[in-house]
Amino acid sequence: MGRTLPSATQQILNEQEALAKFRRALRKEDQRALDDLFRAARYHVAAIGYTAHLLPFEAMLLAMLIEEHKRVLRLQARLGEPLEEETDETERLDPGRLPLAPNVD
Amino acid sequence: MRRSGWILDVYPSPPTSTNRFEDVGGLGAMTLWLIDDDGRTHRLSDSFTASFFVHGSHSELHDLCRMIHAARLPVQLRRAKRSDLFLRREIELLEIAVADPARFPLIVQTIRRLMARPLRAAEGSASKTCHQPALSYYNCTVPLAQFYLYAHDLFPLARVEVDADEAGRVRALQLCDSRWAIDYALPPLQVMTLRLEGDEGDPNHQGDPGHGARPRPIEIRCEGNTHVLQDDDPREFLSRVQELLQRYDPDLIVSSYGDSFILPRLLEMARRLGQPLAFNRDAAQPVQFKKARTYFSYGRVVFRSASHSLFGRLHLDLEDAFLFGDYGFDGLFEMARLAQMPIQRVARTSTGTCLTSMEMSTAYRENILIPSVKREAEMFQGVDQLPLADKGGLVFQPVLGLHEEVAELDFSSMFPSIMDKFNVSAETLNCPCCSDARVPPMSANSSRDIGGVPELGVTVCYKRRGLVPMTLAPIIAKRVKLKEKIRALPPGPERDRYKRLASCGKWIGVVSFGYMGHHNAVFGNITAHQAICAFARDRLLIAKEVAEARGFRMLHAIVDAIFVQKKNTRAEEYGELIRAIGAATGLKIDLEGIYNWVAFLPSRQDPRLPVANRYFGALRDGEVKIRGIEARRADTPAFIRNAQEEMIQVLAGATDRAEFRARAAQVMQMACGYLDRLRSGQVPFEELAITQRLSRNPREYAKATLNAIVANQLLDSGVELTPGESIRYVIVEHHAKAKHDRARALEHLDGALGYDVERYAELFLRAVESLLTPAGISAAMLEQWFAKELPAPQVQARLAAGTTPVYWGPLFEFVERAEMRNVRLALST
Repeated sequence: MGRTLPSATQQILNEQEALAKFRRALRKEDQRALDDLFRAARYHVAAIGYTAHLLPFEAMLLAMLIEEHKRVLRLQARLGEPLEEETDETERLDPGRLPLAPNVD
Repeated sequence: MRRSGWILDVYPSPPTSTNRFEDVGGLGAMTLWLIDDDGRTHRLSDSFTASFFVHGSHSELHDLCRMIHAARLPVQLRRAKRSDLFLRREIELLEIAVADPARFPLIVQTIRRLMARPLRAAEGSASKTCHQPALSYYNCTVPLAQFYLYAHDLFPLARVEVDADEAGRVRALQLCDSRWAIDYALPPLQVMTLRLEGDEGDPNHQGDPGHGARPRPIEIRCEGNTHVLQDDDPREFLSRVQELLQRYDPDLIVSSYGDSFILPRLLEMARRLGQPLAFNRDAAQPVQFKKARTYFSYGRVVFRSASHSLFGRLHLDLEDAFLFGDYGFDGLFEMARLAQMPIQRVARTSTGTCLTSMEMSTAYRENILIPSVKREAEMFQGVDQLPLADKGGLVFQPVLGLHEEVAELDFSSMFPSIMDKFNVSAETLNCPCCSDARVPPMSANSSRDIGGVPELGVTVCYKRRGLVPMTLAPIIAKRVKLKEKIRALPPGPERDRYKRLASCGKWIGVVSFGYMGHHNAVFGNITAHQAICAFARDRLLIAKEVAEARGFRMLHAIVDAIFVQKKNTRAEEYGELIRAIGAATGLKIDLEGIYNWVAFLPSRQDPRLPVANRYFGALRDGEVKIRGIEARRADTPAFIRNAQEEMIQVLAGATDRAEFRARAAQVMQMACGYLDRLRSGQVPFEELAITQRLSRNPREYAKATLNAIVANQLLDSGVELTPGESIRYVIVEHHAKAKHDRARALEHLDGALGYDVERYAELFLRAVESLLTPAGISAAMLEQWFAKELPAPQVQARLAAGTTPVYWGPLFEFVERAEMRNVRLALST
């Protein structure tokens, strides 16, 4: 009712539309991955809206990153990689290792 | 003579003179209908002087006075002081008192015309006039009946004691009732029901009687007797109706399609034949007619049919009464009492109008002027502020899937409570008196002292109570009391009555917030609306933070409700959580319930995308909560709705996820039964009818949707349709080449046609899919399944579940779906 600005969901759809050419020139499997990323943005629509960032696409990118990172963490957990408290000091300083956030679940 | 009883209705007595300039002395009055303890009605009259106010420069007001004197208008002029809400001070005005209520609108109009001046020729045609722009008019738009009720602090159905003389003129009137009472007696009403015989939908959609449709007989019921009248002989028919009206002398006529069909036809017939038809008790008044209209409200087009209000009796059309389905007579009467508005008006108007009436009543009591038009413009906002402010409440996307042990917490009456606790009203924001920007002391129970409105940088007055909070506070308090009563009572009629009363408070609360931003709301403005939303977002996030700090996981949150989950929670932890959130937010939050299981469903278009409002779950107390799925949608055929509800009841018996999956087999079994019935072709049309609201004129539909097809069919058969009206139809052949053949209006169906079995089976399977998706069963699997028609034990075997977590949905959640793999295996062999 009486909104002046597009809602966060609308903003995401707008961005998606703006990238239609980008998407068209992708391979089918890559298109699917792109769509997944936008689903991730949709999942965090409340946060994107609440931020009211003047460049909403930045918030969307972050939302996509969050979901990617969660997936990385999950996969690590499934591979049985040691959790943060189990790694020793030298390993923690190794720039090649991702610092592990506490288990999400 | 002293009498005690209830006020049935109030309205201005007919004008004592049709000449607007004639002075009738003290003869103008309000007519008051009283019902005593024996159900007898008494017509009384009470003199009443209503005033309105004009504000302007001294010289202009002086001019106005001169003109009024010169025109010899029957009014009294006085100098008065009242406070203007938005100027935040008292102003000096000209008070114009009118002693004859019936002529009040006419006199207001005359005076406004007096001060209208011809436009200068350069600006436009000389024949046009404009109102003197420097003058503001106050208190002149309030309907007189409401004015009278405010002035005497009365309300419809109030218990009163009246002292009246022989002619029925009121000498003294004593109120023995309160708007805030929870338990009150209602008068014994003689009720007559008036409807068309049979149950065949909207008579306005049945086409022209000239096309062979015979008008349905009228059925009148009263005191347990039923009279069916056929209008073969119109004179005889009318005198029968007249005789019944006189014999039973009803206080309340309850009709179906009385407003749009029965009354207009009867009255027209009576007029044509010159026969009396005493729908009014008050013979001096004609039945009041208001024409039909269509408007846009809360995102949809609404149609209000023409209305026929009576004098001395009440007429309510159930098909057209606002919110009647939600709160019934109890709620309607309660709303009239709260809003101090005549019952017939309440039934035919939106809750927004009731709320405005309550605000006007507060203004009247507090000597605050009621502007005739909204004058408050929107506050200035920078480009960095608008994106922050122009948002509604926070709506999260749920974590998809089936979850156990989930608690739902709801802020009780969140928006009205925010206005009440934080003193949000149009005139309290950015007030000049409290520039140090603190949340007002009324929220002293909040330990967090944040400055002003969150996000917006707007201050809130803490020295003066706002008009809207002042209006809402007693309503919220009443609702809290009612809710306590409801909780204390066992299920039954008494509890249902309180529920209906509480429903009024709920609707007023809902509307109070939306109305703040409405362009017609004279006491609202958009900044207040935005401030409320900003508070709501902030408080929801505080609730989330408090819950997370206590080890809960937030699964979902929508505006004022939050779903949290923690494994093996002790019962007292929920109580602690509620108290902690209450303390941190300054608002009351309740435990809506604990779900044994709740399923958050994905979008229909994209099965990997969560949506906010599509879920269903079973609470521990046995209640089932459904949102957004077929059973809740207005356009779902009754057959599918009932089937889905029954299947949910089966699932509701499950206490955890494993059992839910186990019961899925039983649901499949039931679904087979329903499907067989559908395919047999024996389901009645009534159960398959799809109800849709027209969003535009039927001829304006660009695409041949079923909606458009049926609307045009009706139009072609001579039925008038207006946007906002509902139509009902059955799908006959969904993919027919000739679009006209795809669906038929329910009113046009006869035995010659059947329904489209496959299309209905498809719609039905969608409803089954919604229920079984959480158990890992997809649409494709359902289709295969029903094609093969497996016996139950085998289905059971397929559903026997393992527990390997399988990644489900987009990127978000693991759900145990081993059973799905089993199913696939079973299907492929």
